[in-house]
Amino acid sequence: MAKKEIEEINAGSMADIAFLLLIFFLITTTMNLPQVHEERLPQKSEIEFLLNKTNVLQIQATKTDKIAIEEEFAKLEDIQEAVKEFYVHKVGDRRWPKYIDVTRKVCEDTLVRLDEVLKVYPDAPLYNIERGIWASRLEAVKLIGDFPALPNSATVSIQLDNATSYDIYMQVLDQIMLGLNDLRNELCLEKFGIPFTKLNKKVETDKAKISAIRQVYPKRIMKEKNRSVQ
Amino acid sequence: MSKFSKGKKRKDPAISTAALPDIVFMLLFFFMVTTVFKEKESKKIVIDKVTIKETVDLEKNVKAAYYWIGKVPGEFTAKGEPLYKTQLDDDLINDNSEIRNYLNKLKKNPEFAQVWDSKFFNVFKVDKKTKMRLVREIQDELKEAEAFKVVYSVQKDKKKK
Repeated sequence: MAKKEIEEINAGSMADIAFLLLIFFLITTTMNLPQVHEERLPQKSEIEFLLNKTNVLQIQATKTDKIAIEEEFAKLEDIQEAVKEFYVHKVGDRRWPKYIDVTRKVCEDTLVRLDEVLKVYPDAPLYNIERGIWASRLEAVKLIGDFPALPNSATVSIQLDNATSYDIYMQVLDQIMLGLNDLRNELCLEKFGIPFTKLNKKVETDKAKISAIRQVYPKRIMKEKNRSVQ
Repeated sequence: MSKFSKGKKRKDPAISTAALPDIVFMLLFFFMVTTVFKEKESKKIVIDKVTIKETVDLEKNVKAAYYWIGKVPGEFTAKGEPLYKTQLDDDLINDNSEIRNYLNKLKKNPEFAQVWDSKFFNVFKVDKKTKMRLVREIQDELKEAEAFKVVYSVQKDKKKK
């Protein structure tokens, strides 16, 4: 006697569908990591090197949250342009720092000279730092060719009053970073064809690129107490 | 006995449950991946976060100390202004030197000492209207304890520049 039964539904492909969905969600979901602004506090022993006025871009925030760039009142958005001008100015501009020409030969010569000094004084911290800087500059030159670098003492300085609000401080920092990242993006697009923000620091080749770009446009922000702005 | 029997009822086939574990695992994975642990929040202090455009992701798997600076709800100074206080990890602090002691204690722990200069973050969650003096006083304490890495927790402004 032939008994006809309804065939069991084939569930073999169910797992495939499930995995397909899983992969779809895996790819489309983004994780929201907490967003932060990073900063490194200065070492206590660091000496103020505000000797040369041309080497410093001075931004002040008063107790009433007004902004002054180079002792002239300005708007928040103006900071971006000022930062760009500070980093990229014409050679020979009297107002801003003199560039150091970084070429392969200069790097190698300086490194040789520093190594000789270090042989005599192996523990001199300043020379060790200097050596580190020139070693990274040499790496940068190998990647992107010769570039003009700002002197080590060139920095953006933020002067705050005790009563300045935290909000204004963060906005000033943000504007500086906007200007700086713009420059970095531009350079990165020109040299490597992708924006700076798309570089992934976990990839070894990208890491070298990031550090090269950072050599040309280093983030140098100094925070200090307000001296005299009304 | 006809060839096509009509009388006898057929049993319905059992629904296969073979794929059930797949579905369950899929859900599990989905939630595992999308879950982000909620940022630590303070119950004692109210924070109105700052919004800025250029931000970076906070690195994963770092050691951190948390500092909240903001208004204490319901408490006022003698002048009737909102009272700003600092909370270090779980407790409100009255004297800033507590921070130094706390950090120095942490530093004795080898787990922290190893990464003190590279992966130990001081996470600041500060109310917009806080005066910089408060922030600065705390950072002076950090310098004393040689904890130099600071991150400010902010909200990202997603509007186009």
